[in-house]
Amino acid sequence: MTSHTYTVQRSTLSSRIALTLGAAVLVALVAMPWWATSGNIRWAIELSCYLAIAQMWNLLAGYAGLVSVGQQAFIGLTGYTLFVLAQNFGVNPFLAVPLALVAPALLAVPTYLLLRRLDGPYFSIGTWVVAEAVRLTTTNIDYVNAGAGLTLRVMTNYSQHEREVAFVILCALLLLTTIGGSYLILRSKVGLALTAMRDNPVAAASQGVNVGRMRFLIFVAAAVGTGFAGAIYYMAQLRITPAAGFDPFWASMSIFIIMVGGIGSIEGAIIGALIYFFADRLFGEYGSAYLIVLGLLTLVIALYARGGVWGLIQKLGDHPWFPVRRILIKVEK
Amino acid sequence: MADQVILSARGLSKRFGAITVIDDVSFDVNRGEVLGILGPNGAGKTTLFNLISGDLAANGGALSLDGAQLAAEPPYRRCKRGIGRTYQVPQPFGAMSAFENLMVPAMLSAGLSETDAAAHCAQVLEDCGLSARANTDAGKLTLLDRKRLELARALAGRPKLLLLDEIAGGLTDAEGAELVKLVRRVKATGVTIIWIEHVLHALMAVADRVMVLNFGEKIAMGTPQEVLQDPEVRRVYMGLEA
Repeated sequence: MTSHTYTVQRSTLSSRIALTLGAAVLVALVAMPWWATSGNIRWAIELSCYLAIAQMWNLLAGYAGLVSVGQQAFIGLTGYTLFVLAQNFGVNPFLAVPLALVAPALLAVPTYLLLRRLDGPYFSIGTWVVAEAVRLTTTNIDYVNAGAGLTLRVMTNYSQHEREVAFVILCALLLLTTIGGSYLILRSKVGLALTAMRDNPVAAASQGVNVGRMRFLIFVAAAVGTGFAGAIYYMAQLRITPAAGFDPFWASMSIFIIMVGGIGSIEGAIIGALIYFFADRLFGEYGSAYLIVLGLLTLVIALYARGGVWGLIQKLGDHPWFPVRRILIKVEK
Repeated sequence: MADQVILSARGLSKRFGAITVIDDVSFDVNRGEVLGILGPNGAGKTTLFNLISGDLAANGGALSLDGAQLAAEPPYRRCKRGIGRTYQVPQPFGAMSAFENLMVPAMLSAGLSETDAAAHCAQVLEDCGLSARANTDAGKLTLLDRKRLELARALAGRPKLLLLDEIAGGLTDAEGAELVKLVRRVKATGVTIIWIEHVLHALMAVADRVMVLNFGEKIAMGTPQEVLQDPEVRRVYMGLEA
């Protein structure tokens, strides 16, 4: 007769502290129009977009094994869709943000179906080709002002305070859906499948994981999450051009953030985004020298600390902020 | 009787370029039995498992589980139909704990709820002697524990047909005896087992029938005693003249 039973531990003290801090950050973010300067709010919008884009790339590359260098396709497309809906169709620009999210999903489905048979670097190149094709197509469409881009003039209908309130609410929703959503997914049965896929896709398939469907769902979800960030980013900029919206810089930024922060963890994406954001603020003025340093830092991390900064922190102690593990605890009766 | 047969293979073949690795192999596996598979290295034993689990697609022939054709079924669907497998070279999810490794098939193949899966996996870990390693990352386990984990993970998916690929290799006599007891316990629950093994005494202690492959061809099928007396098997597999 067994004299014990088992329970599964899913949260830790560190995660409870992190969740409390996370909730406080969200409240502070939403309250920014009443306590922060407009400059600070612009920074918060930018950082939120970086966090979301990196988190989505982390899901793609860190879990689904899909190393995309073409996520800018979804950033630019969602931005353009938002501008067209708001500027050309008269839709309330803030309401146009969720409506515009249909566009990245519609592009992601055929893109994945086209590229799904490509492996590793071939898939990566394929995503870049798709992004370039969308950029070139946009550049040649007169309806969206071709290469000159669009300006979101309707935003002048709103006061600066109204705009700032709407932006911080959108950013809070963006962080909740991308970071919070990733956390919920990774803690669920789907997360179990994704983690198994990350470690060994062949064995995962033989243990009941539909690897193809998981990759498809993650590709579409990441496209929508990335597009959401793109819509907010360019809405805040009030202007979008093909060169900016479909800039491959978005892909290299994602790679930098995840490589430096730590691939395959929510914490790594957050740390990497913070490092990139503040490095850009502090050293961006040094131009190409700054970019060379960022590149070297990525190389050093890739060679000597594969787990990134979060991996180094974990060596000091296992205190996850967003625990997705299942710890089996034996309980004596 | 047909309903006694859980797995049926007819004219199964697999080629890698010009090399035929499985050549027109036909056999039936009866429900609840342990079918041993013997053969020298390169005989096509693991390839046969890969064809059954769907890791490889056959070039010809038919395969059915409980009367349903498997040809078009991908590996994850075959797993959900009840085919569990281990790999000759352990393929754990390295950054997941032993317990989490088991949770994957328990939830995604057997379809258990989180709570039921946890209870089931804890029991399987105990049965396989892995309780003390439940929260150790699979990538940090010893080779022996990884082999145990392979078996435990396959069992966690509640298979009705279990494919064991050389799980006794490298075990001590005592560990081998424990493994035989475990396989017998699994068999007693009604699970059908196909077991590739070079550790003959372990296999012969459990197998109801044995099939022998050589260069992709089936050269013998029968009870362990019949097969071991077969002159062709003695020549090919044991290097003995009849």
